[in-house]
Amino acid sequence: MVGVAARRPGRTATGGWLVKRAGLALLAASWVAVFLPGPTSAALAFALAVTAALLVEPRVLVATLRFGLLLAVLFAAAVTTAVVAWAVGPSRGLTVGGQMLLRLLVLSISATLLGRTTDAEALLALARRLRLERLGLVLGLALNVLPHVAVTLREVWTALCVRHRRWDLVRALPRLAEVVLAHTARLAENATAAASLRGHTALVEIQTTLPAPLRVVVVTGARGSGKTTAVIEAGKALEGRGRCLAGFAQPGIWENGERAGFELVDLATGERADLARRSDPDRGDHGTGYRFERAGFALGETALGRAREGAILMVDELGPVELRGRGHMAAVRRALSTPGLDVAVVVVRRSLVPTLLAALTLPDVTVVDVEEVDDPARAIVAAVLRNP
Amino acid sequence: MRDARPWTHAALFGALWGAAELTLGTALNLSRLPFAGVVMGLIGLACLVTLRRLQPRPGVCLLAGAVAVFLKVFLVGGLYPGPLIGIAGEALLVELGFTLAGGRRTGAVLAGGLALAAPPAQLLVVLWALAGTDALGAYGRVARAALTPFGLGELAGPPLIGLVLGAFAAAGAAAGWWAWRLAGRVERRLGGGW
Repeated sequence: MVGVAARRPGRTATGGWLVKRAGLALLAASWVAVFLPGPTSAALAFALAVTAALLVEPRVLVATLRFGLLLAVLFAAAVTTAVVAWAVGPSRGLTVGGQMLLRLLVLSISATLLGRTTDAEALLALARRLRLERLGLVLGLALNVLPHVAVTLREVWTALCVRHRRWDLVRALPRLAEVVLAHTARLAENATAAASLRGHTALVEIQTTLPAPLRVVVVTGARGSGKTTAVIEAGKALEGRGRCLAGFAQPGIWENGERAGFELVDLATGERADLARRSDPDRGDHGTGYRFERAGFALGETALGRAREGAILMVDELGPVELRGRGHMAAVRRALSTPGLDVAVVVVRRSLVPTLLAALTLPDVTVVDVEEVDDPARAIVAAVLRNP
Repeated sequence: MRDARPWTHAALFGALWGAAELTLGTALNLSRLPFAGVVMGLIGLACLVTLRRLQPRPGVCLLAGAVAVFLKVFLVGGLYPGPLIGIAGEALLVELGFTLAGGRRTGAVLAGGLALAAPPAQLLVVLWALAGTDALGAYGRVARAALTPFGLGELAGPPLIGLVLGAFAAAGAAAGWWAWRLAGRVERRLGGGW
């Protein structure tokens, strides 16, 4: 971007800095004067703005007098002059029009001058000076992802143009918006996960820390790949070895060959409760196509509340609702904070693994993909007991 | 730990809004097409409402607005007051709408109404700031003279301004409702059904 004040030959750096400061102070004064009533204040504001431009960067005046911009300013002032002259009188019209012309010129000079002396570095430095480091990081992240977002917009648009005729494109616009917005949200999740995996905590306020050393076994796989079945079998195997279990599984409820909902099973007691029932997609809870039952969440909280020293915590599963901080998440966080907890087994679908890692700063993680092992339950038990 | 996600989401959605402003916004502005402000307002509204639905934290819309303003300043290379005030104002009004009515559909409807009524209100405020009350009164008389032949002369002045702002606010409220539905579809798409 364009740099700071032009330094004339022989002028010291300090002198240039002072001149620039004085110029910017005059510009600020012109902004005060420009909104005071009366033609005198408008003329004063114009004189201050011109002096400021001459001190900071005289070329700004030439840039402001671009034909198109000048024409637009003159046109707006002329229309107002004509309207006021017609409605009130010619002399008042000339006064108001002249005042408007001067104010528009002050704004144009200010905009060009500030545009030439302000760049990303200056704004980031200002954010740091104001102790707004997070804002600086957010702006930096936005700058970095901007090319990616622009490429996505172009690719989605190209794909739509290929698939639809010209007039169908208009009807496809909401679809385009949906795809782009969802993609942006995924990028944000990935950025969070990447920051977490690299140990960046500048955007995070630490409120509670998870007790270390807490081991976590992440069980993952596509939908319908058998994660829940594997976890229930692994739980039984671990109980058979005398290990204390806490937590729940969420098997599906099947009606007429279709998944009609989910129930929640307390792994320690075998108690069951309805958790969710399929509903109209627009009427579901938490932006899902399901209506949730309080009884299911209450049982989940009770099951997670059994976590104690030396226990194995099993959570099947953490979905997008939880990873947005809703659903079971509050109870899960409480359970994970149990002192002396041995290991936590957390089920999450594959696409959400980075988000899980971002949501919980996990010191020791083993990932079991149920689609990549012959006996998922056995693999989970081996990971929990650290048997190769 | 407190989640970093609202910050990253605000950065990304602000970048998306900024990208739209830099490309489509600049093109519409240069082509002087009518309702350019409304089109860009709708795009901003969709970004902000989706952001607020995915990350229901106070202030995220303001942060996304700051990001979009920053990108516009940085990449267009100049502080052009109109679009910058438009972006910052829209972010502020959407945040205000959600704050007043809660992070629900009602909030989105109110936010949309406020955000889309802002561009015509901004025109009036700018005219008043630049030319004073005389000019506003003179434009009112012009409007009355233009409407009188149609028997609508009485409408000129505050009733006409109220009518125009009301029409924009109603369209904005509908846009807010649509943006909330769109955000719901995005949420479900991300959730994969749950």
